Amino acid sequence: MLALVASTPASADDALPDENAVQIHAFVSQGALLTTDNNYLAYTERGSLDFTEAGINFTKQLDDKLTVGTQLFAQDLGPNGSYRVNFDWLFLDYHWRDWLGLRAGRVKLPFGIYNETQDVDAAQPVVLLPQSVYPEADRQFLLAQNGLDLYGYLPIGRAGSLEYEAYFGTLYFSLPTQLGVQFAPVDVPYIGGGRLMWETPVDGLRAGASAFHGTLDINAILSGFPEPITIDLTETQWLASVEYANEGFLLDAEYGRIRDHTTETSLGSEHPTAEHGYALAGYRWRPWLMTTLYYSLMYPRVGDHNGVANQQHDAALSFRFDITAHWIVKLEAHFMRGTAALDSSLNNNVPLSDLTNQWVLFAAKTTAYF
Amino acid sequence: MRALACLIVVATILPGPVSLATSARAESSVSVRVIVNAKNPVARLERRFVADAFLKKRTRWDDDSAIQPVDLGQRSSERAEFSHEVLDRDVSSVRRYWAQQVFSGRGVPPPEVSNDADVVRWVAEHPGGIGYVAAGTGLNGVKTVEIE
Repeated sequence: MLALVASTPASADDALPDENAVQIHAFVSQGALLTTDNNYLAYTERGSLDFTEAGINFTKQLDDKLTVGTQLFAQDLGPNGSYRVNFDWLFLDYHWRDWLGLRAGRVKLPFGIYNETQDVDAAQPVVLLPQSVYPEADRQFLLAQNGLDLYGYLPIGRAGSLEYEAYFGTLYFSLPTQLGVQFAPVDVPYIGGGRLMWETPVDGLRAGASAFHGTLDINAILSGFPEPITIDLTETQWLASVEYANEGFLLDAEYGRIRDHTTETSLGSEHPTAEHGYALAGYRWRPWLMTTLYYSLMYPRVGDHNGVANQQHDAALSFRFDITAHWIVKLEAHFMRGTAALDSSLNNNVPLSDLTNQWVLFAAKTTAYF
Repeated sequence: MRALACLIVVATILPGPVSLATSARAESSVSVRVIVNAKNPVARLERRFVADAFLKKRTRWDDDSAIQPVDLGQRSSERAEFSHEVLDRDVSSVRRYWAQQVFSGRGVPPPEVSNDADVVRWVAEHPGGIGYVAAGTGLNGVKTVEIE
């Protein structure tokens, strides 16, 4: 028997809920994006409704330690997604002890405060999470991995508790054709990483760090090149996080770096290091109203902050309205400076350095979920 | 945009509660009691342990049996008070926490029942059960525990 676990508590005359029933949860989101200049994520200068997400998941607790579950997810965001249904996550979870559990299958990547829930609008205070750290355009790359995931939660007395997770596996994804480059499916020999969060004795205050390391082999055909090129990419990321969430307050700050080692058969090698970070402050004024401000920045190359294409600043103001327990509406504005987060292929192949430096993005999104 | 700005200004300058928890406290003076199954040997629990149990960060009693929490519905004043005093979050924040858990495959929330009598029934029928009820609720098959 299936049981919907929306907020529909059993009435006095009902039987008590069956905690062993299959649990079903789902969400549907529709968003809109509009920019004053530059196309961002979609063709936004004219306004875009190509911003749709839907997901449904099924979870069944087989006994008090063993759980299986899966979530199907479909998305449309500009050139990405096109409503293709994917397994967002799919795993078997053996919760041996609170300090050690194992998930096997396709598991969301623990990275920073928000990575596992990037595609869950209902869980976020804003429409677009700080794009310097959680870029929508890269969500298929860093969202979930296929492999093993060890996790645990360990109280450490008066010092609070530790929450930790480590994973090893691979990724399955394709890169969209752009700028005359046609990509073969990406081969990912391995990825690994983890996250450690310390929940401090101060209620609501936690801090931690995440790390990611992986190698990718990318084969591509470039227009004008007689032979396919092979790109070997080794990437290492780390991210430091701190969060204070207590009563109506939400304060987040994260900073990290991404080091790439790229070897291309005909174009040579590169070793860029990018840095990114943000600070976010939100407050829930009423059960139905939350406002959030954040400032996010990203430099694709640590040593070069000059030029509009080498920086992206994003100051955002967002309003979240919880209309009911299962329906939310969000409105926000982003004041952007720089073009590093833009994609030339969405902007008539104009080089990033020639795109408009200061631009404004408006975003709206509504989500129903249970 | 002007209408939105007016809405925000009105919402933020209105006097009164700023969170659901404080809102509920203003409306009700109920005192929440944490209850466990009558056969459970525990007599007192740390507040943090109870919070972890309801957020499913801890899933085992000391004897390794499963903790089986049960919640009241989201509009319940007892739930608002429990969330504020034990979880240190308002109900909206707890709902956001469970949205994060549910849609990332990390866990599912405790089952919800509609009234104190059903909480007592649940806890009485589940050896690892833990719940909360208003003071004065009949406690058949369950017992209260002291929160430190």
